[in-house]
Amino acid sequence: MSALLSISDLHLGFKGLSGINNVLHGISLNIAQGERVALVGESGSGKSVTARIVLGLLQETRSARISGAVKFDGNDISAMNPKARAALRGTDMSMIFQDPTSSLNPAFTIGRQFTEVLRRRDPSMGADACQERATKMLGEVSILDPNRVLNAYAFQLSGGMNQRVMIAMALANRPKLLLADEPGTALDVSVQAQTLTLMRNLVADHGTAVLFISHNLGVVREFADRVYVIYRGNIVEDGPTQALFSDPRHAYTRALMSAVPRITGAGLPEVPEVSEDFFAPQISHGGVA
Amino acid sequence: MIRAIRILAANPLSLVGVILVALVVFAAIFAPWIAPFPTHNGAVVDFAFANKPPSARNWMGTDLVGRDLFSRILYAYQISLVLGVVVLAIAAPVGTIFGLLAGYLGGWAEAILMRIVDVFLSIPPLVLAIAMMGVLEPTLTNAMLAVTVMWWPWYARLVYAIARSEREEGYVLAAEVIGAGTAHIAFREILPNCLPAIITKMTLDMGFVIIIASSLSFLGLGVQPPTPDLGSMVAEGARYLPDSWWLTVFPGLAILIAVFGFNLMGDGLREVLGVDE
Repeated sequence: MSALLSISDLHLGFKGLSGINNVLHGISLNIAQGERVALVGESGSGKSVTARIVLGLLQETRSARISGAVKFDGNDISAMNPKARAALRGTDMSMIFQDPTSSLNPAFTIGRQFTEVLRRRDPSMGADACQERATKMLGEVSILDPNRVLNAYAFQLSGGMNQRVMIAMALANRPKLLLADEPGTALDVSVQAQTLTLMRNLVADHGTAVLFISHNLGVVREFADRVYVIYRGNIVEDGPTQALFSDPRHAYTRALMSAVPRITGAGLPEVPEVSEDFFAPQISHGGVA
Repeated sequence: MIRAIRILAANPLSLVGVILVALVVFAAIFAPWIAPFPTHNGAVVDFAFANKPPSARNWMGTDLVGRDLFSRILYAYQISLVLGVVVLAIAAPVGTIFGLLAGYLGGWAEAILMRIVDVFLSIPPLVLAIAMMGVLEPTLTNAMLAVTVMWWPWYARLVYAIARSEREEGYVLAAEVIGAGTAHIAFREILPNCLPAIITKMTLDMGFVIIIASSLSFLGLGVQPPTPDLGSMVAEGARYLPDSWWLTVFPGLAILIAVFGFNLMGDGLREVLGVDE
């Protein structure tokens, strides 16, 4: 089975006044069709920039220095012209963000924004067809009163509702790859769990591959088939979720796991900010399709 | 709509504003039918009734050549409103485009566009308008041009400030990741979120434009006689104060009513549309 997304030896630096500031130091990552892959790491480790490179957004930033190959569906994204990259976004790839409420434009109803998303794929789509498709998609994310939601503005809905709307919109055009950048981090834990379960079932039904970016190990363990752990621009460990969680071998992965506060108390664990062994070479548990 | 009416009703001052504006607009539109002496908007002379105080025949008195002041004020409202609408209809979109592009694109576009705006803002507005009118022929069109040139940079600044903060909002990023182009994001995503502020400012500015235009014609640089204009009517009568007080007081009151009305209405609108100061 060929990889849907294959990143190999990706380097990224930003050119600043004091020279180039390196952010990614040669990361490699693969996602097969329909596979759910998580990229886990602390803030500033390079998770979100990776997603922005996959979307082809950073390639258009003048100060960014990118090398390495990012192949989506067999085509090198970095080699495409900006128009071809833009054509992929919202059709074959889509993305959802941390805060669903701010991701929706406050000036338009959900229905109108849904229509715009659908017309990305098929500009000739009529108003009735859009309405019908939007209603169906909202039904799939268990929204019981789609008509009320379509006529509402984002600020009139709860965060959980907006999250479902975002998931429905992101999947409406049947993308091959969904990038989820810490989805629902802005929501409370129980709502987050509900929507993630929903999302998991939906992408499984649609056969959509997911790159799930998170710092929440609990969520990742439930959601992903395979995990990459990233630390300061290097992948330190990767493998199938089960293997990695039951036998974390890299010092940083272990530290990350011990950093999760226990619900049973015992205080906040102490984690060193930097340690010599965090820079040890990548450990792979295999399992790449 | 219902919410709008409720807010207006709860705020009697803005209701007063709406009523005043409605009166002024009504007077301007129906001037030819309301005015007791519709012909007096031009070069008419009637020395038998020259410089008469208010009476049953001439509610606001007559001017130095015997024209009915009430009729002339109604016609002067036409000029003021047309001038205000035309100035804002040009200044607001031009400034909005400048501000949107500078605010959303950032970088070089921002530097160039906003420095152009700064150049215009660095010259005191009335001085700029007076200088322009000094060079150009004093006609209504040129008065509009002069006021427009001094007015658009304020819209650029306003929209720029809003676009700058909206650019960081999640929905802009969300639009980028579904492949929306620059123009789409600037005009279809960000602009609708700037509109309440723009509309509020336009309403408030109607009053100010009327004042500035009146100031220009008060100085003799605006609309020329015999066309009735509130500013030049005040200027003309000022020489005969305090004896012929009606020559200045009524046109002055007319300016006051229009400006006051638009300001109160603008304040009310700001609340209805939820625009921050």
